[in-house]
Amino acid sequence: MRLLLAILVGKIIAKLTRFFHIGGGSAAPGLFALRIDPQLVEKLVKKIPTNIVITGTNGKTTTARMLAHLAKEAGIKVIRNHTGSNMERGIASALISHYTLYPIPLGEAASSAYTLGVWELDEAAFNSVAPKLKPDIIVFLNVSRDQLDRYGEVDKVVNQWSETLSKLNPKTTILINADEPDLAKLKDHFKGKVKGFGKKDLKNVKLNGLNGSVFDITIHYTLYTIHLPLPGMYHIYDTLAAITCAYHLDLPVHPEIFKDFSPAFGRVEKLDFGYIFLIKNPAGATQVFETIAPQIKPSDRLLLALNDNLADGTDVSWIWDADFEQLKIENLKLKIVCSGSRANDLAVRLKYAGFDPKAILIEPNLKKALQQARESLKGKLFILPTYTAMLQLQRILARSGHKKYYWEES
Amino acid sequence: MKLIIGYLYGDLMNIYGDTGNIIALKKRAEWRGIEVKLKVKSLKSKITKGECDIFFFGGGQDQQQSLVASDLESSGKGEIIKKEMEKGIPLLAICGGYQLLGDYYQPHKGPKLQGVGLFPAYTVAGDTRMIGNIIIESQFGKLVGFENHSGRTYLKKEGQPLGKVIKGFGNNGEDNTEGCVYKNAIGCYMHGSLLPKNPELADWLLEKALKINLKPLDDTLEIQAQQAAIKKFC
Repeated sequence: MRLLLAILVGKIIAKLTRFFHIGGGSAAPGLFALRIDPQLVEKLVKKIPTNIVITGTNGKTTTARMLAHLAKEAGIKVIRNHTGSNMERGIASALISHYTLYPIPLGEAASSAYTLGVWELDEAAFNSVAPKLKPDIIVFLNVSRDQLDRYGEVDKVVNQWSETLSKLNPKTTILINADEPDLAKLKDHFKGKVKGFGKKDLKNVKLNGLNGSVFDITIHYTLYTIHLPLPGMYHIYDTLAAITCAYHLDLPVHPEIFKDFSPAFGRVEKLDFGYIFLIKNPAGATQVFETIAPQIKPSDRLLLALNDNLADGTDVSWIWDADFEQLKIENLKLKIVCSGSRANDLAVRLKYAGFDPKAILIEPNLKKALQQARESLKGKLFILPTYTAMLQLQRILARSGHKKYYWEES
Repeated sequence: MKLIIGYLYGDLMNIYGDTGNIIALKKRAEWRGIEVKLKVKSLKSKITKGECDIFFFGGGQDQQQSLVASDLESSGKGEIIKKEMEKGIPLLAICGGYQLLGDYYQPHKGPKLQGVGLFPAYTVAGDTRMIGNIIIESQFGKLVGFENHSGRTYLKKEGQPLGKVIKGFGNNGEDNTEGCVYKNAIGCYMHGSLLPKNPELADWLLEKALKINLKPLDDTLEIQAQQAAIKKFC
């Protein structure tokens, strides 16, 4: 009864938040439902036959989305936590929204129709939530500095993961990025099967600018040639993780399988006037800089937005670890607009990365910043926001008719 | 003119944005036509007398910090650094580096980590982390940064604080002091990164290192960032 009440309350909150356009309903319904029934996640996830957990500092959402894509292409019904809401409340929200209260009997409702759960968990939530999900496979993508104020230091993150793994059912299979030295010790703390994925599985990598890449993946003598419409080496790693997982789930993969794949909103997003690339920590931001720098033309512009809300990390020191120097393009009077609640900090970072201070414009208000950046823009606008700035940007773009509200996206 | 920066244990002690201080020192010297050389002084390296004009020492993770603590003592580098400071060579130490240059660090469990004994201060592990934006009033004016530490540092009687806490926790969250100054060496808990947003402090360190008066730079962006932080968090 408690469970049912929790689900009902969650569903009502989801409806309200969407009706009033105050959010996508990805966190609040789960948050309140968990207060009513703290065991909600365990109870509902039990009905799903196979569950996958994906964690790491960068690439969780894209990898989860890729795996879900592969499963859907194989006709499998997938449930997952959407929109990067990667703590327990996000999972609870997803389970609630997919739970049909009809037909009676209520206990055996439609969530049992989902055969694959794909769950992304952030570095800290992994420890408390992964055991509740009793996952068949766990994917560890990478670990690097990310929001020191929230997660602590890299060593601490890996130590806590090790402890969680040591108590986990050994029937789980662990997939680890073998090119991440910090992750290597995880295998010593787990009694079950551990497999690595990495450079050793990759061949014939051809990067094709912002249009994507083509490469071969070999897993246990099976060769997959993949055409990926996403730019940058870091997306190849996400793909590798997703395909390794798909291999263990016996999902079919063909070269064009990602042809129509689009990443989650804001990660890498093509707009009619430019691109959005999410930046949120030093390693992730540097990968974005490496990827876009060779593609930026003299007529293009940059809009960077740095917020310091909880979900961004309240400590903006991280921008000094991100390699903004990579963005420096010689002989180019590139106009750059700095925005967000810490726009001024960004401007200083860019000055010290070698940009001409005269080319830097500061406008903390994102809507105004976007207007200024687009005014008489001849080339493309590259927008690089932190997480909450990206959410704001989605709302601004939706209101101005450039795209749908993000919670209306699949 | 040439500036040699010694980055103490730069491969191990470089937590969250500490490298931003190196970037600030380097750029502010280069913008004045001074050539800069960066030397990372780590576990296997030696430091000779007069080799570096200025030192920077950042924060680290627990494991690295105990490794560095024992190396400072066993390699004799701690003693050399201390002698250089006595001569007036400037240094900036943040968080872990600041703690290691005090008398000792007492963790929750296990033996004390012996410090270099440069700053008249000692640090005791605390139960809660002190995290957040910090603003202090100092001889360089208001300084802004971000602190994230569980160690509580207490100054001894002769210890001079870097400043008075206006917003945040500071050394220990109790006595309103932040950091410590000894001759031209400064230790504190302020990440942020500290020097880019506090150019007066950066230039003071450079002037002590080069023993000259520097010509001022256009610091409009830096001061704007500093003032924006003060306005936002005070």
